[in-house]
Amino acid sequence: MLRLPILAVIMVVLAVFLFFRGKRNNLTIPAGKGCVVPKDWLVSNPHPVTPKEHIRPADQTFLTYPEWFLVHSPAEIADYAQIHTTTTFPYMSHVRQIWQSYGIMYDQIKEAFPFNTGYHIMIWVIGVSTTVEYALKALYETVVGRLTDPPNGDVVTDEDKFNAQFTQDYVDFIRELPWYEFDFTSRIPRLFRETSFWGPHFFRKCERKYMLLTELLVKAGYGYLIKLGTKAAYDEALLTTAVIVDKVPATLPAKSKSLKTYPDGSALLLLPRYEAFNPAASALVQQGVTFREIAGNNSALLLTTLGPESWQPNLPDFQVVFTQPILTKPGLKRVALVTTVGRLDKTIRYVQEQQVKIEHVYDY
Amino acid sequence: MRLKDKLPLSYLLFTLRGRINRSTYWLVSVFIWSTFYVIHTLLYDGFGEGATYVLYPLLLGSLVATATKRLHDTNRSGYWLSVVLIPIVGAIWLIYRLGLRRGDKEKNVFGTVPNEAADYLKNDNGQPVPGGTTSERIINDVTHLNPVVVTDVFRPTSVAELQERIRTTTGPISVGGGRFSMGGQTASPNSLHIDMRGLNQVLQFSKEAKTIQVQTGIRWCDIQRYVDQHDLSIKIMQTYANFTVGGSLSVNVHGRYMGHGPLILSVRSIELVLADGSLVKASRTENPDIFFGAIGGYNGLGVIVSAELDLEDNIAVERQFQKLTYSDYRQYFFDSVRDNNEAVFHNGDMYPPAFTNMRAVTWVKTTKKPTVKTRLMPLRESYPLERYFMWAFTETMSGRWRREHIVDPLLYMSKPVHWRNYEAGYDVAELEPRSRSSRTYVLQEYFVPVRHFEEFAQKMSEIFNRYRVNVINVSVRHALPDAGSYLAWAREEVFAFVVYYKQRTNNVAKNEVAIWTRELIDTAVSVGGAYYLPYQPHATSEQFHQAYPNAKKLFAIKKKLDPDFRFRNVFWDTYYQL
Repeated sequence: MLRLPILAVIMVVLAVFLFFRGKRNNLTIPAGKGCVVPKDWLVSNPHPVTPKEHIRPADQTFLTYPEWFLVHSPAEIADYAQIHTTTTFPYMSHVRQIWQSYGIMYDQIKEAFPFNTGYHIMIWVIGVSTTVEYALKALYETVVGRLTDPPNGDVVTDEDKFNAQFTQDYVDFIRELPWYEFDFTSRIPRLFRETSFWGPHFFRKCERKYMLLTELLVKAGYGYLIKLGTKAAYDEALLTTAVIVDKVPATLPAKSKSLKTYPDGSALLLLPRYEAFNPAASALVQQGVTFREIAGNNSALLLTTLGPESWQPNLPDFQVVFTQPILTKPGLKRVALVTTVGRLDKTIRYVQEQQVKIEHVYDY
Repeated sequence: MRLKDKLPLSYLLFTLRGRINRSTYWLVSVFIWSTFYVIHTLLYDGFGEGATYVLYPLLLGSLVATATKRLHDTNRSGYWLSVVLIPIVGAIWLIYRLGLRRGDKEKNVFGTVPNEAADYLKNDNGQPVPGGTTSERIINDVTHLNPVVVTDVFRPTSVAELQERIRTTTGPISVGGGRFSMGGQTASPNSLHIDMRGLNQVLQFSKEAKTIQVQTGIRWCDIQRYVDQHDLSIKIMQTYANFTVGGSLSVNVHGRYMGHGPLILSVRSIELVLADGSLVKASRTENPDIFFGAIGGYNGLGVIVSAELDLEDNIAVERQFQKLTYSDYRQYFFDSVRDNNEAVFHNGDMYPPAFTNMRAVTWVKTTKKPTVKTRLMPLRESYPLERYFMWAFTETMSGRWRREHIVDPLLYMSKPVHWRNYEAGYDVAELEPRSRSSRTYVLQEYFVPVRHFEEFAQKMSEIFNRYRVNVINVSVRHALPDAGSYLAWAREEVFAFVVYYKQRTNNVAKNEVAIWTRELIDTAVSVGGAYYLPYQPHATSEQFHQAYPNAKKLFAIKKKLDPDFRFRNVFWDTYYQL
């Protein structure tokens, strides 16, 4: 049967062609080719005032984006799961978005900074894991999930409701802590306790139980392994971000403290890192505070915003790097902006004046 | 053409029968998934989401069908697919079972090893005649060029049964076994055709004396399977193991063995059923006229029902080769092959269309470990590569040049070590074209005293080129003299020119072949040689008697033993009844 290899090659070529045709460009739209950030923004601080133990590399503001996408993406899934079954979620488009945005981020820093091997490996590990997870889910949902999906993708079964709750809890958790710390195992008995065996959409119920049980078991096992690996390969992450501000604010944001004041009135503050950094920084900006250093850096700083499709931000204080449409919320788009530490206050104020939400500030 | 080649892809995708191996499973999975993706995308884009649901029965059906076949390969039924319902463990187990685990090496309850043929290629049992009587059959040979209508086919299972049938009937009789001769030597119009393939027992075997006595409906491959367990090998046979012993005896075959020659040199004795139904034994000392008249005698004297054959040790042999021109071949052969005790097989391939360059291939004894896993040649279900090369050599521009200068050098880069039995176990199936309806592959053979090698080679080349014969290969072999048989083709030491060519099946083409064949026969006779008889009977009666001067003596013996001319076939019908 010589026909089979020939046909297989033809179909693979066709499939690859269809997969890569056109589509990719409108999922992540770069602001320009290659590096669009002004070169003088892409430098490390030669004389940081911030104490050494609080300094992080300047290029990490860009490299943390793919990692954070893996919070933004589950967040989008969790929102979607409240109103639709996740069977119809566009997983593969998110796979494209993560790799496309990683490519754009790397374009910004590849000439200005030495290659950060450890960080890139970490991105590849999580990127590939997510690609595999999303691809398998897309495949499963296309082949099996679609056949049991209730009309219009309505969330009617206990199992789909369980899924909505679980994805929401998961997102809330990973905003604060690494995903592998999430307690997947305890969800397994809950899956059977909180859902009825019999009921309308019986096949859907069985199929979802099977799917959720598989997902929970795999993630529990994989999370355990990643936890071991991370502990062996990386230092424990600092949960605070040190900033130098031009003046001591009247009220400190929550979970923050002042470490030191300098003779010129500036001060060294310790803000919460990750998710909570954005509200803390915004609170300081509202009190008229200007940043001099964040984690020892005084150069380029990335932030993403979620605004209406028509929003075209434009100010010399920042540079748009790319935009990504939020596929499950038509009309909404993510805009990635690069400003500098010194211009962060102006940028935040501008965005807030435009009634646009700041999704995240990438604090290195 | 074998069953699997006829089956469309849908057989693989939508039936639950049979086995497939790992690589086929991967390949077909790639095909299924990529096809699904392509059609799904097109339907989705073209007709909307609803249209894609038509794909699901096809997708799930083909996934289940191919997975079931793969499970069969490791001797599990398709019901094991339900293991997938166990989360994770079931999926992992199935991925291992379907994608990674090697299939059973042996036949199991679900079928034979994938891509391995169950048996050597066989001819049919005779096709019914459209509009003929119920017992009439068409007997044809492997070339499909010689259909003959016989009145009945009789397949004896014992010698007594055969004797009884011959004794109680009076009409003409034709005898066939594997039916790999190529000129109607197994059938005669309106005869009773005896299909010898039911008489296939080993009668006696002695490991110490290295002899085996067999019924002649047995195939050489069956004997190989039998003696291989005792580290023995057949002393003389042809390259392809599909033939029955009786057929090989009746045409007195030869192979590529060095230091031997015609098959008769390895035969100790035979038993024959004569035209009156009596059974006689014949050897060099007992009834020698019958012995020398029946071997290589094309079933003229009777039906050979058993034979005692010499065996040799089954040793490992390694392939060596030498490229040279035909003018250097004879010297090379006499210097380094003929008297070399290490040489087991030898042949010299002449490259068409010039027939100037040759590749001399010799398999010599070795103590090296065989490079093949099996002791006997594994049978394959299909030979796509062989078929492609055969097509490319014969049908494409510069195909012959590519063969000599690219394909063969690549094929000869390795140094295979085979068992003697392995190297004598080829399946005729590897030569089979996809269809023989408009073109067919045919053999011819000419024997030339060794001293006339160059002269004949030159003249042969000239004739082939003049008639633009589509020659695939001319393989030169060597044979020591056959001092006894009446139709001996090696009355002295000879080189055999085995010509494999392709011809069209229409009448014009057949006539053209007849014309150049007669010219080649004249050329062989002019240097004291002969042509081989199991092929098309193109030779004139005069040419036949020139090439076989002792034929008249055989005819006289036949007249005595078979006075009513019962044993017939195209050969006897053509040259005896004059």
